[in-house]
Amino acid sequence: MKMTGPLVTLSAIRKEFGSVVANDDVSVEIGGGEVLALLGENGAGKSTLMKILYGFYQPDGGTIHINGLPAAFNSPRDAMARGIGMVFQQFSLVPALSVLENLLAALPHAPWLQRRGSPRVSEALRWLDQLAPTLDPHRPVRNLSVGERQLVELAKVLNLDARVVILDEPTSVLTPDETERLYGFIKTLATEGKAVVLITHKLADIAACADRIVVMRGGRVVDRAAARDRSAEDLVEAMVGRGSMGSLPSPKPPSGDVPMLQVQGISAEVQGRTIREISFELTAGEILGIAGVSGNGQFALAEALAGLTPVTHGDVVLASVSIAGHSEDGGIADEVAYIPERPRDNAIVAELDLSLNLALRNARDLPFFPARRDIDGRARALIAAYDVRPPQPSLPAIALSGGNLQKLVIARELSGRPRLVIACYPTMGLDVAAAQAVYREIFRHAAAGACVVWISEDLDDLMSYAHRIAVIHDGRIAGIARRDEADRQILGRWMAGDAAGSA
Amino acid sequence: MSRISRIRFLAACGACVAFLIAATIFLLAIGRPPLTTLAQMAFYAFGDTYSLSESLVKATPILLCALAVILPARLGLITVGGEGQLYFGALAGTAVVVGFPDGPIFLLLPMMLAAGALGGALWSGAAGLLRARCNVNETISTLLMNYVAVLLVNYAVYGAWKDPGSLGWPASIAFPPAATVPSLWGTRVHIGLIVGVIAALILHVGVTYTRWGIALKVLSGNRKVGAMVGFSFMQQTLLVMAIGGALAGFAGICETSAIQGRLQAGLSVGYGLTGFLVAWLSGQNFLRAVPIAILIGGLIAAGDALQLYAKIPSASATILQGLLFVAALGASGLAGRRSARYG
Amino acid sequence: MADETLLAAGSWAAAMLRSSTPLMMVTLGETLTQRVGIVNLGIEGQMLCGACVGFAVAAQTGSPILGLAAGAVAGLLLSLVHVALCLGCEANQIGSGIAVWTLGLGLTSYFGRSVVGGKVSGLEPLAGPGFADVPFAGPILTQLTPIAPLAIVSVLIAGFWLYRTRTGLNWRIIGESFETGRALGIRPMLVQAQGTLVGGLLSGFAGAILSVDYTQTWANEMTKGRGFVAVGLVIVARWNPFLVLPVVLLFGLSEAATLRLQATGLTLSPYLIGCLPYVVCLLCVVIVSIREGRVGGMPAELSSVFSRRS
Repeated sequence: MKMTGPLVTLSAIRKEFGSVVANDDVSVEIGGGEVLALLGENGAGKSTLMKILYGFYQPDGGTIHINGLPAAFNSPRDAMARGIGMVFQQFSLVPALSVLENLLAALPHAPWLQRRGSPRVSEALRWLDQLAPTLDPHRPVRNLSVGERQLVELAKVLNLDARVVILDEPTSVLTPDETERLYGFIKTLATEGKAVVLITHKLADIAACADRIVVMRGGRVVDRAAARDRSAEDLVEAMVGRGSMGSLPSPKPPSGDVPMLQVQGISAEVQGRTIREISFELTAGEILGIAGVSGNGQFALAEALAGLTPVTHGDVVLASVSIAGHSEDGGIADEVAYIPERPRDNAIVAELDLSLNLALRNARDLPFFPARRDIDGRARALIAAYDVRPPQPSLPAIALSGGNLQKLVIARELSGRPRLVIACYPTMGLDVAAAQAVYREIFRHAAAGACVVWISEDLDDLMSYAHRIAVIHDGRIAGIARRDEADRQILGRWMAGDAAGSA
Repeated sequence: MSRISRIRFLAACGACVAFLIAATIFLLAIGRPPLTTLAQMAFYAFGDTYSLSESLVKATPILLCALAVILPARLGLITVGGEGQLYFGALAGTAVVVGFPDGPIFLLLPMMLAAGALGGALWSGAAGLLRARCNVNETISTLLMNYVAVLLVNYAVYGAWKDPGSLGWPASIAFPPAATVPSLWGTRVHIGLIVGVIAALILHVGVTYTRWGIALKVLSGNRKVGAMVGFSFMQQTLLVMAIGGALAGFAGICETSAIQGRLQAGLSVGYGLTGFLVAWLSGQNFLRAVPIAILIGGLIAAGDALQLYAKIPSASATILQGLLFVAALGASGLAGRRSARYG
Repeated sequence: MADETLLAAGSWAAAMLRSSTPLMMVTLGETLTQRVGIVNLGIEGQMLCGACVGFAVAAQTGSPILGLAAGAVAGLLLSLVHVALCLGCEANQIGSGIAVWTLGLGLTSYFGRSVVGGKVSGLEPLAGPGFADVPFAGPILTQLTPIAPLAIVSVLIAGFWLYRTRTGLNWRIIGESFETGRALGIRPMLVQAQGTLVGGLLSGFAGAILSVDYTQTWANEMTKGRGFVAVGLVIVARWNPFLVLPVVLLFGLSEAATLRLQATGLTLSPYLIGCLPYVVCLLCVVIVSIREGRVGGMPAELSSVFSRRS
């Protein structure tokens, strides 16, 4: 059911952050009753554009029109009042409060006195009942799974009778089943006359529910079309710019079958997430990919393998030496290279300069009066080799962008000769060229005999390059398959909780 | 001068100006001519050798207590426990004197000083242990322990250690010459000042140029990453709290021995709190703490003199410290906001 | 026989309530302040100002009610300094609190000298002396003034308000996440200012209760660190106004017990006994910290105050 004329028109939008031009002369029309997919790589400017529409940012140039009339939003509250709602990637729910309280907080006309049975309160739960009928609204949000939180976010937005619903990368945190259900909701919303904008970099989302597509690259719109008029190859080319990058050569198969890394039934707990009885063995040169929706224990597994969190059962043995809980005595073992998730929190010291951050792994072995010249010299070499920008060793690490920070951590961890490489989302925030450089580095170490545990959300990459793929679900390994045996269906079922071997 | 240091310099000037304005308002409010009074204070602080020596006398425990705040601050710990550590150090040192009042000077004096330092180290270390082991906020624990230490000293001087010869005044026996910290230059200034300055120098070198300093920077920036590379938050917490406490405890026993001559109830006039202020004003920098402690020592000495000669209660010095603190916090806060735009 | 025990119990209860009341108000105040993400260590200074100004006004005007009101206002005014520094200048909250405390200390030491030795008539007790023999309730009614039930009721109202109303929800949201609050249209700075000022009002009121109602004297530094005890008790009460009541009452019980111990002629020095409140408070904080770690129940924005450095 299409409405006449676009509901929202963004014209010639321009937005700059310092020297970075996030949106450059972007014009997009959004109509009611259809699903518009905003496609592009990380950093293409899609989120920024929608955040401008949502009132989170103010544009430096260009105009917004709603139903033909000009509109200016100084804050999300203005946008919400005009019927625009956005479900973020980083959810804006308050973890310590209950689901109901979060929903009530978002209602503009919520009653002052909040009695549990009152009609206003029931109204706040109307959409939630439809989206997640089994969810107890009095549970605190921090106890919900990521998928459940997203549904609460969606209910929050729909409670505002939003006419335009913007979803920012919604499927990146869902299992295949939950993703299918979400696609169904999206199509239902469109049938009811709402305008749905789907920000994504996944072609699967487009194939499932998009009516129209707008492709962005480098802050500009590079293509617009109806979904049926574009093939997957067309879209990838538009997104990436010069035909798909030649894929990397597959890593060599591992040599020999003497196990180098033996993970023996380990259980551990980190920040409330647990892993239970995880076992696998890797030979030298083998790359094991760990797939799974984030929040299923990946962090606990990585920390346990790195020896940074004690294991309550079992052991981790690397080259016949136990490294479980090693850091209790003196930090992570020298033969282990660890690229953690969220490097800003887990891998660097933000206030220290790049030189010191790069020297962290050897910090305990420095002389009592360390020579700055040596530290700086080594840092300069690493910065140049791994293309960290800006190349100034005296900058505090906090000044780096996400991608460069990742490169810094990789420079530090992969410049030695580790026997075990633990890489968590190693290409997060990197553009395609930088990501390929990182993969090349990791494969180089594998070829030299290191075993690699590679945690990633990108099934395509894992299926292309890992020797074996394991799926982690709810703290356990749901299944492991060799690359040639694994397909999306099997992996998807494991990710949803059907462990290997169950009917 | 880089933009950031220019902003900091302007902030320091702004703080001084704001303080002077606030001080003027206060003096007007109590009916005193501001310019004359401020000039009087400057004279009583540094005007002649006697005033200068009195300022240094006050500056000594202030400096030591300031160092006791700065060192833990380098690890990210905020302690306000100088007062308690000072009292407990005095208590511990006095215990040695009361126990061996007839000891020879080459034994009694060092043991007394060591006991004072050890007492302060233990008092502070306890709070450090609570923080490292049980995650108890060290600001609260040190604040509460301050009151306990004062009560313990009261307990001693009203009770077991009360000198019968002191005619009902709650105090310990007078310290024998063998237990009196030597003074300098024929004034009341004692070697505690030298110890404080040397400690400031050593700590500055340690924190800036050694591997230990790097460990502190890493742990205070990101404890998890510090553990990852092998630095122990527990060890460093105990170390910095103990060293800080030792310095404050040393200040306590020196005050008791050299200035008061006996342990009595009103040992400290808030040196711990003043030390906290000095630490803040110096930007948690050991070297800057020395001149700033001397300045604030001058302020306190001038306050005492004002009470004697101009009949202005010495609580005015506390008010002025408060105003100075507020001015400095406001200025540095605003400066931080400005430099965040450029940083 | 039973009557006597009931009377004794009632007498203990009365003592407990009387000594808890100031602490209850200041703990409630700091709980609300910390709920919006602000740490105010200056409540000790605010309490002192409330005690001093309250006493002075009560002595001058002869009206204890005016004194109580003046004390509350004094606490409010001093908390304005904290608001100006933390919200206006983005200064470090711990440092600002200590500065406010220093100011309160200095101002009351200075201006309070003229007030020492003044006389105030306290508030009328709840019931006349004729009720003194009523089992259990007798001592309570004859020794307590309307302040005690007022304090209890205000704690309960505050709890109800925080958890069951829109504005209370807004305050909790700001304490958990500025960003979310701002996205929902709540103004973080305004709410934080309100929370700090309410804390100032309550701590000033608490100080006035101490000098005008409880002890009916003013002495230099008479609050003796109760403000810091309150900060500790906020943690023990998990930032929940409803829990403030039992926590403070238990604490008041221990304080009443120490006074009783002294009165029974126990040969323990009053100074050692005087250590008990601080030790008990510290112990409670330790126990709570061990059991739940720092995170449990703490408003999320507050933890960033403790990890931020100046």
